[in-house]
Amino acid sequence: MQETRHQFRETLKQLEAQALGGLDLVTAQLDRSLEAVTYQDVELAGMVVADDDRIDGRYLEVHQGVLSLLARQAPVAGDLRIVAALLHIIRCVERMGDQCVNIGKLVPLSGYEAPKDKDILDAIERMGQQARLQVAQAKQAFASRNVELAQDLVRQDAVINKLNREIFRRAVEVGDDLEVREWAMYMILVARCLERIGDNTVDIAEQVVFVVTGLFREFADASTPPAAGTRLS
Amino acid sequence: MSALQLVSARRRRTDQVMRGVLGVATLIALVPLALILFYLLSKGIGAIKSGFFSSDPNLSQCFPHVPGAPPPPPCNIGGIRSAILGTVEIVGLATVIAVPLGIIVALWLTEYGKESPLANIVRYFVDVMTGVPSIVFGLFVYTLLVVSHVGGDAVGWKGALAVALLMLPIVIRSAEVVLLLVPSSLREAALALGSPRWRVVTRVVLPTAGPGLITGSLLAIARGAGETAPLLFTIGAAHVLTGNLGQPMNSLPTQIFSDLGQNTSAFVDRAWGAALTLVAMILLLNLIARAISRRSRLA
Amino acid sequence: MIPPDTESKEQTVSTADQPAGQQASVSQPTPAGDERAQGGHSIICKDLNAYYGQFHSIKGIDFVCPANEVTALIGPSGSGKSTVVRCINRMHEEIPGARAEGSVKLDDLDVYGAGVDVTSVRRLIGMVFQKPNPFPTMSIFDNVAAGLRLTGTRSDNLRERVHRALRAVGLWGEVKNRLNAPGIGLSGGQQQRLCIARTVAVEPEVILMDEPCSALDPVATLKIEELIDELKERYTIVIVTHNMQQAARVANSTAFMLDGELIEHAPTNDIFTNPKDERTERYVTGKFG
Repeated sequence: MQETRHQFRETLKQLEAQALGGLDLVTAQLDRSLEAVTYQDVELAGMVVADDDRIDGRYLEVHQGVLSLLARQAPVAGDLRIVAALLHIIRCVERMGDQCVNIGKLVPLSGYEAPKDKDILDAIERMGQQARLQVAQAKQAFASRNVELAQDLVRQDAVINKLNREIFRRAVEVGDDLEVREWAMYMILVARCLERIGDNTVDIAEQVVFVVTGLFREFADASTPPAAGTRLS
Repeated sequence: MSALQLVSARRRRTDQVMRGVLGVATLIALVPLALILFYLLSKGIGAIKSGFFSSDPNLSQCFPHVPGAPPPPPCNIGGIRSAILGTVEIVGLATVIAVPLGIIVALWLTEYGKESPLANIVRYFVDVMTGVPSIVFGLFVYTLLVVSHVGGDAVGWKGALAVALLMLPIVIRSAEVVLLLVPSSLREAALALGSPRWRVVTRVVLPTAGPGLITGSLLAIARGAGETAPLLFTIGAAHVLTGNLGQPMNSLPTQIFSDLGQNTSAFVDRAWGAALTLVAMILLLNLIARAISRRSRLA
Repeated sequence: MIPPDTESKEQTVSTADQPAGQQASVSQPTPAGDERAQGGHSIICKDLNAYYGQFHSIKGIDFVCPANEVTALIGPSGSGKSTVVRCINRMHEEIPGARAEGSVKLDDLDVYGAGVDVTSVRRLIGMVFQKPNPFPTMSIFDNVAAGLRLTGTRSDNLRERVHRALRAVGLWGEVKNRLNAPGIGLSGGQQQRLCIARTVAVEPEVILMDEPCSALDPVATLKIEELIDELKERYTIVIVTHNMQQAARVANSTAFMLDGELIEHAPTNDIFTNPKDERTERYVTGKFG
């Protein structure tokens, strides 16, 4: 027996696929922006900036799809929570895309030479990998409605935040080296963008819990260290 | 893609043949009716001379004209005044008995009895009664009341009783039909307001069914007015005008019956005149019933 | 009348410190009728069972309709929601072969209590039906007054009560110049409001509505929903509806019934954003009809 509201369920599934597909676009942008940073590739950075249009386009598509679904199908209960969550998620996608654009814009500013600090570059690369991992995990958690996986993102995000603080410390250390320090300043900003991307994946994780339980809870903010000490940012 | 087909010639022929058959059957059925009306009018109108409605039938005899013998004295057998009045009184009393009683029984059947075994038994008996020949009612009253000399011999009210018995099942059946037509949503609405059931019946059901009940009653009255058999042995033979139902009474059907028994044309003419009068009265009742039913919101 | 238990309730009111001239009489409606708005009336059904002959239609439900709130009953056809509502004002027993067991309390009084007069129950718990049913032989005025006349209520201010009822349902402006016109001459939406006015004129404590808007067009429906919102200030309202959006719009709390059982009863917001029972979720999202 065919389920009732077949059309509606199909449309909702497609909308979810589109929103989660935005996360794939983000991953691609992330990879390329990191490559641009590592190799000081200004052209690649320019492409990242230009390609943000695709993410913006995806945002508009999902937004329109949500409006249409609300107007025509009057979703309630679980369906309504999914639709609200998708709207939230696609905004996170758009913000993550913007962060990648920011990274891309920082590349030419940091100069065309290559004097870099290896430690900082390493840390940036590790942050990038971590961000990539978190984006994938957020996508997986939502697609499978897995609450444990979602809550684990808080722990993951702690890693990124730790790396962010490390890079800041290292940049301060190399502050005396005139040639490197300008580059290091820009790397702080890049790290900041990556950290924001991490925060967005935690937002997505909160939506997973909301969809499954109907309760919205802010996850513990991992950006401040548990122990009192140097307060950063 | 389906194409629209034209009506085949064979179908058209069949259609015309059937229409012809129906038309002929209708004519055949109408012919006797038309003939009766024609006879009624032509013979009846002729009988309505002056004094027809204002004088009672008297006991004069009419002698046929024998050729060679001196002409018989002029024949004035009188009119049918007492018969008309008699019919009105008898049918009036019958109505007073049968209509309220019939409506009350119908109310019981629809509002309280409904589908209960007792109600179904009552309905069955009412159905049987509608089929009983009218003379049986006359016979019943004759045996029970006339022969036993209860309250006098054959008198007006006993005839009225026989007619009432005849009218009763008709009133019950038609009233029940009309009452069932009252939407149950109206009863529900009244009950839900906190009305006791008897008030629902008197204030909602009866007023709503009112016109239909009146129509049904008028038709029953029209039927009762024309019945001869119940009156034959129960009202006695009378010619005088009387308002007393405790006396023997005249009535149009019995007057016609007795007039036809005479073999003089004057009496037969009077019978036609009486018949025309009776038919006219019944027609009037029918027309009034129709007019009321047309203004009714139910039937 | 309701059994003597009410006497104690009335005494509690009058023994409060009040000067002689100020006796608040609870038993008669006051001219302004505003005093009735205080102290709302709730319906509490406990272990309610209903039968149509042998068929067990309502299976032991506990159902609460809080005072001065709109409680909606939703569920698929045959779930028993109309039956529940008809058990509350004892209209269920008008069907041959039907009976109900359990207790239905209007405040402290069980309407199924021994010796309780059914007509007094229905005076306190009014009902509006799916298809508007004004009395066809009566004028607009007489229709609204019908409730008072049919219940034998002696009323000195009949006209005033009729006018007030018509105002309360928003019909006054539309009919004030033709109160003697036949009730059935109005449009569908107006007829339904007329029926509501008829119910309200009797001044019940609770109003039951069995799919009141099913037979009406969308504009008339919205007008009635507005009216329901106003009426709940003075009455407790229980509404059965097939239209979930309507329940979502008008009801404070919504109860979902399935196959004669009460599955879930929660604030409307919860039912439509986060229902607890899987079956409720499946019904409201349309996974089954």
